[in-house]
Order: sequence, then structure tokens, then C-alpha cells
Amino acid sequence: MILSPLLLLGPIAAAPAAPVQGDLFVIKAPRVELGDGEVMEHAVILVEDGEIVTMGQDLPVERGIPVIELEEGQVVMPGLVNPYSRVGMSGGGYNDSRPQVMASAELYPSAAYKAFFENGVTTVGQYPAGQGIPGQAVAVRPKGDSAEEMIVEDGVYLKVVMRNNSSAKRNLRDGFEKADDHLKKVEKEREKFDKAQAKAKGDKKKSSSKSKSKETFVPPPADPRVQPFFDLREGKLRALVSIRNAASYEHLIDAIGDEEFEWHLRVPLTRDIDVFHVADKVGERGCFVLMEPLITLVPGTLRQRNLPAEFERAGAKLVLLPRTDSKAGFESFLEDVGVMIGAGLDRKAAVRAITHNPATFMGLGDRLGSLSEGKRANLLIFSGDPFQPDTKLDAVMLDGKFVSGDMDQ
Amino acid sequence: MHLRPNQQRRTSRPTWLLMAASLFLAPTALANVSIDDEPAEEAEAEEDKEEVLALVGGEIHTGLGGVLRDATILVRDGKIGAFGYDVDVPEDAEVVDVSGMRVYPGLIAVGSFGLFGSSGNLDDSVDPYNQNMTLALAAGITTAVDGNSVAKLKRGHVDGLVVSSSAFETMSYSNGNPQGQLKVEGDLKGAADYIRAYRAWEQEKKSNKEAKEPSKKGVDQKSLRILRGEVRPRFNADDRTDLLEIAQLAQRYGFRPIINGCREGWTVADELGRAGATAIVTPRTRRPKDESLLREGGSSIENAATLYSHGVNVVVVPASRGISLGGIVGQDLLHLPIEAGFAIRGGLPQLAGLRSITIEAARVLGVDYRIGSIEVGKDADLIVTDGDLLHYQTFVQWAIVDGEIVYDKQAEMFFAHIRPRPETALAPAERMDSGEEAPADAPADAPEEEPAEDAGEEPVIEESGGEEPEANEDPEDPEDPEESEDPEESEESENTEQTAGA
Repeated sequence: MILSPLLLLGPIAAAPAAPVQGDLFVIKAPRVELGDGEVMEHAVILVEDGEIVTMGQDLPVERGIPVIELEEGQVVMPGLVNPYSRVGMSGGGYNDSRPQVMASAELYPSAAYKAFFENGVTTVGQYPAGQGIPGQAVAVRPKGDSAEEMIVEDGVYLKVVMRNNSSAKRNLRDGFEKADDHLKKVEKEREKFDKAQAKAKGDKKKSSSKSKSKETFVPPPADPRVQPFFDLREGKLRALVSIRNAASYEHLIDAIGDEEFEWHLRVPLTRDIDVFHVADKVGERGCFVLMEPLITLVPGTLRQRNLPAEFERAGAKLVLLPRTDSKAGFESFLEDVGVMIGAGLDRKAAVRAITHNPATFMGLGDRLGSLSEGKRANLLIFSGDPFQPDTKLDAVMLDGKFVSGDMDQ
Repeated sequence: MHLRPNQQRRTSRPTWLLMAASLFLAPTALANVSIDDEPAEEAEAEEDKEEVLALVGGEIHTGLGGVLRDATILVRDGKIGAFGYDVDVPEDAEVVDVSGMRVYPGLIAVGSFGLFGSSGNLDDSVDPYNQNMTLALAAGITTAVDGNSVAKLKRGHVDGLVVSSSAFETMSYSNGNPQGQLKVEGDLKGAADYIRAYRAWEQEKKSNKEAKEPSKKGVDQKSLRILRGEVRPRFNADDRTDLLEIAQLAQRYGFRPIINGCREGWTVADELGRAGATAIVTPRTRRPKDESLLREGGSSIENAATLYSHGVNVVVVPASRGISLGGIVGQDLLHLPIEAGFAIRGGLPQLAGLRSITIEAARVLGVDYRIGSIEVGKDADLIVTDGDLLHYQTFVQWAIVDGEIVYDKQAEMFFAHIRPRPETALAPAERMDSGEEAPADAPADAPEEEPAEDAGEEPVIEESGGEEPEANEDPEDPEDPEESEDPEESEESENTEQTAGA
């Protein structure tokens, strides 16, 4: 921020060329999609050390700062955030409850991650494989030499698979029940401890020794399988529940009962999925809903529905995912989203659904997913409207560095 | 619905639906932790309020013989609170005018598959948005046996479905398996001996405190329960010989059998009647007699009637216990009332025909204390039809389970376009386009209008979404010029409906 007054003084204090320190540059863009749905024209973005320091319309630029001047027609957009992918990971999972499993343990840098940033995805949420409760997801930057370098944040959500059967419901109920059992155990231990303390106190009084070794009660640690459920209750962890149809949503509500925790929905769209039955209920909750840009049909008919648009209108916070979790899916992603916009999805909502919303869903909304001061300089430069099929992705910038495309820094 | 103009009750229906919808959301809101507590509180407050629904002006068929014309049913908290001619409708009650229509108890299918999406523990595995469930409701079925559970077709709910988890106690007693017959007879005899010894001990105990209680060891518990009258065994039997032997066994040991199939029952109806049997029959079954035998046999359209006239209670099921959307229609659960109609064709009295798919079915399942007839205190599982239930032309207009409307013909795409519900009773000639009325009750899957002209310009999907807000308005305003003025357009869109619906 030292540089921002300098920047504003611009032409006046131009004479002594300020010593440019660090990795500092400016992007001048005719049109910027901010990620929250708004657009800024004639934007000037000052980036230092991979972070957006200042951003505004027609800001004067200090001489000496390198400027990337975009051409008329080019559009800047925040890097895409895909919160639900397993590209780059291998192996299968189990069918039971393993909430302590961290997807980050599977993480290793590989060429597969190129598929992300080459197609504009600059932040990825990677989840552990398996049914039941397979574990916790990790937010990843798709470029790095080591797993540590790639991890943006670990434990961003707990994946839960809800199906129309008793075992899926039991996984969830049992988790919280075990948490309760643990609390009871802790309570018992505490009572025991208090009794022992009182007794010790009494003994001390008798012996009237002055040594005051005031022990504090240390609760027994929770089983690692139970801890995530405490985290859920305490709001340290959010759950992403994958449902298959409207019925699984009802079963989810039934399984949750009176339990209170933050949860969101993953709804893998199939051709004739019937989740529209619960769109209003989900909208009422206002949770994040992760789905593909796909036109679906009312079961047994050829009546088309735009479920992403319906859920968005109902009040859900939409997150769009590529149709397939693969390179091909990433390549056609923006075009697919464009089709949904053509079919009635609000354009601003669509932009949010691929940038700001997924970032916020993973708890990273204050760091990335949109373009404003203090956010990471993860941005995409398009030759035109990102949702038009003939638009080219000219460049991808990750943390202030071009990682893909044919533009020079 | 035959709506009477200039009556306040007309407007109340949509509001009522709205309220139902918001109540529906209550558990969701309660589970919501993230943001606002206010809606949750509101929902709670609404939940506390007693729900009263009044069906006014209908012809009530109680299922027990009573018919009340132009009467009112009051539903309180999912139960039938009152019905009759001078029922006080509370001011805050939500009123549905069903004048010109008939109200029956919801039908019961004593066998089904595929209505609940999956089997097993229904509370944990039901798909309450299953298409077959909606179709079964369209047939008037509000309760069905799945596996060995008796469950309600509570559309949109995953809890509170199961009425009983032991629908039948099945036994096998067939001429083709003499060993099995011996075993059954032996078990029954053992149980009968035990009961006799127990009774003797009970008497002896009074004078002799030392008397020893007879040992239960080796006594078949199932047989014991049967002989004590706690449960009625169900036999699968069609053949005359089997039927006769079951009837005799039942008379020998004094229990009342339920006989599934009972194809040749008409040949031994008197024996079955004496045994106090209940027969679960499919009137349209066709099977020629065994020509190698001199005696009468084979199927008969008069089977149900003959059995009934000999004192055998009759329950009717269709030939197929599922719902099939392929092949030739008419033999599946969608046609349960039609199947009962065939029993009437064979001579079964009208009332017995109705009872065969309501109260008698509830009785064999042991759930008649809750469902099967319109009686005060029973569950409000009702259907409203536009004519005689057993007539082939009749459609179920509404199905109500536990006091909640779970099916509305005009709101679902299946039959909305066939003889759409007239807008008013006074002007039945003014047909309303089903497509326009459909979104009125706000089902997500209601058939929506295809944009007829500017389909290229305006995406279909947008149209469907855009129409949804209208759901909250009164859709059946008779003064709305749009709905009746352009017959050509409505005709055209109706055709679209039919194609899409088919």
C-alpha cells in the first residue's frame, strides 16, 4: 500500500522515477468482470507480489511501473474457481464414514493440473473419493512444485453423500451421536477430576501444606473420527452434501433433524433429475448449490428445464461446475455456462457462480474469486465476452504471473 | 372443483395452499443454522396453529354405507374432525368447495411394488417424489402394502408413512405339499393343546396354588397368535381343493383365514363363508377349468359376488400390483377402482365393491382403526372424485393424505388435459385450458405452456420459470378474459399438452 499514494500523485510526482521494487505492474483493461456480477470499464489494476493493491477506473499510473495494456474488446475476469474436482488425484474410496480423511494427503503436483490453469481455473477444491462420508476437501492452486506450495487451505469442506437409504442417513446421525457420547465421556471425566480435586483439597487442608499445584482439567481428546462433527457444530467446518434427487434432499432434512451446522448441496444433474420439487425449499435455505450447466428434462417428458436458473431464482447461491470432471469438461465449461445464460440464467449470477460463489463457498471469498483490493491477482484475459463460443482465452494469470496463454509480462 | 362465484371461500384456496407450502418448509427452516432466525420462528408459530381444512358441499360416501349429499367434512390436524350437514366451519378454516363432487375414503391397495421408489425400511428409503406414487394417488390410492409394510402415499414426506410393518402373516397350506400341511396342522394342534392346558391351569390355580404352568416349549408362536385371534393368517390359494382344506382347517381350529387369489372360491363359497374367510380376489382373472375333473372349476366373473353372498368378505386387487406405463393398460394399480367395478359387473353389490378397496382392505391389514372409511377420529385420507368412483369415466380430482392435498389432477401433467375441471359449476361448457390452469397450484412439474408463436425468440426454459410466481395468485378468476376468450389458442395449447403428456 506504500505505492498507492504514489500512484495517485502520478503525473505530478513523476519526475523522480520511483525505484520499482518487488514484482509490481499494472494492467489496464477496457472491461473487467469483477466476479460479483458487476463490471468495471477502463479499469486499472495495480498488482504487487501477486496481490491486487489498487484498482479503479482510469487511475493515473506512475511512470516506471510496467503496464500491460489490453486491447479494446479484451475482457478481464477473475480466475475460475472449481470447488469440486478430482482431476490429478487417483484412487477410490470407501463406503462408510471417514470424516477425518484429508484429501490433501493425496495431493501431489503433476502434469494433470495443467488442465486447470490452461482453461482458466486458478483455484480448485479437491475432495476425497468415496461414498458415505469420505472426508475433507482441500483448496488448491493448480500450480506448484510441492503439495505444500499448492495448498491454499485445508479442510475447506466435509463431503457427505446422502442417498435414499438407511446407511447414508446413519452415517450422519451416528457422527453426531458419537460426538454426544464423547461429550458425556468428557463430562464424566470432569466429574471424576473435580472429585479428585476436592478430595486433594480436603487432604491439603488437613495437612495444611501451602503448595498450590492447581491442576487444570484436560479433557480427553476426541476420536479423530468424531472431531469433524464437533467442528461442524462449532462452525469451523462446513459440509457439502451430495444428493441424487429430490427424495435424498428430504432424507437429508430428516437425517439432520434438530442438528445445526452449515451445509451446502452438491446436485449432480442428470438428464431427468427431479430436484425441481425441492428448489423452493433449497432456495429458502439460501445455501450454496453446486451443479452443472445442463438443461434437464422433466422425467418422462421432453419438457426442458434450466435447473441452475431455477435454483438461483429461488434464492440458492449457485455454483457451476464443469459438466465432466476432465480436461474436456474444463474446455467447454464457459461455453456451457453461456448456453445456460442463453436459456434464461441471469448473466451476473452466472459470473458469480463460477468465481465469487465457489470461492465464498470454500471460505476463500476474502482472498480470491473476485477482483478488488487485497485479492489475489488470479485473473483471466479473454479476447471478448467470455461466454461466447468464439472467444479465446488469451492469458491466465495466477498470483500475478502468467501461467498460460501467449501474453508477455 | 365446481366453484361458486361470489363466495369468499373461493379465494381462500390458494392461500391455503400457500400456507401448506410454508408449513412444509418449517423443518427446513428449523434446520437452517446459517443466517436468519426469524423465518424459523414464524414457521414455528404457524406450526402451532391448528390446521383446519373443510371440504364443503360434496357428496360424502363414508364407505360404511352412509351417503350424505351436500355435506361438509372438517379435517383437523390430519384427522377427520367432523362431517355432516350442520358442521360449523371455523372462520380460519381453509375451505375447498367440492360441490358436485364426491368424497370417498382413500383407497387401499393390499399389494404393490414400485410406488415408494424402493423397498426396505421405507422411512429411510422412500422416494416421495416418485412418479408412480403420484400416479397411484391419481388412481385414488392413499395407502398401499409394500413388502410387508402398510404405508401411506405421503407425497413429499419421508416420515410418518408407515402405518404398520406387519401387513400379513403368510402361511402355506397346499395340497401339493402334504408335508407342509402336516407341519401346519401339527403346529396348530400343539398351540391349541397349549391354550387348553393354559386355560385349565388358570382354573386350577384358583384352588391349587401349587399348580404348574404349562410349558411353552415347542409351541409354535405364530400358531399361538393365530389361535388367540391376534393375527389372521394369509394363505395363497386358488384351487378348489386347497380352498376347501383351508376352510376346514380354519373351522377346525377356529380362526378366520385371509385367502389371496381364491380363484375357484365361488365353487366352495359356502365353506369359506362358514370359515369366516376374507378373500383377496382379482375379478378379471381368467383361467379355464381343469377339464380332467368333473367338478366345477376355473375362474368366474361372479366369483366376488358369490363369495360375498355366502358371507365371505371380499378385497379386490388388480392383476398387476405395480404401475405399468407400457403395454395394454387397465390391469395395474392405476385401475384399482375399475377392477372393483368388474366385481360389481359380476353381481357384487355397489357398496361391497367400494368396501372391497377401502375398509375391507384395511381390515385384512389390521389398520382399520385408522383408515379405510370416513369416520370421526380416523385419519383424513380422502379422495374427491368427479363422479361415481367405480365408473370408468371418473377421475380423482384431489387426493388428501393426513389432511394434506398431495394430488391435484389439474396440477399434474398426467390427466389434467382430459376433461379439465370446469371453472364454474354454472358454466361447464366454458372449458378451461389445462395448461393455463396447471401452474395455479404451483407444482414444480406442472405442464407449462409452450410458447406457441415466438418459440424461437424466447427460450422455453425462461418461460417456465417466469410463470412460477403466478402460482400465488388466484388463477381461477372467472372474470379473467384471457382464459376463456380465445378458444382457438386454448385448443391449440391443449393439443400440445396431450402430445407432451403422452
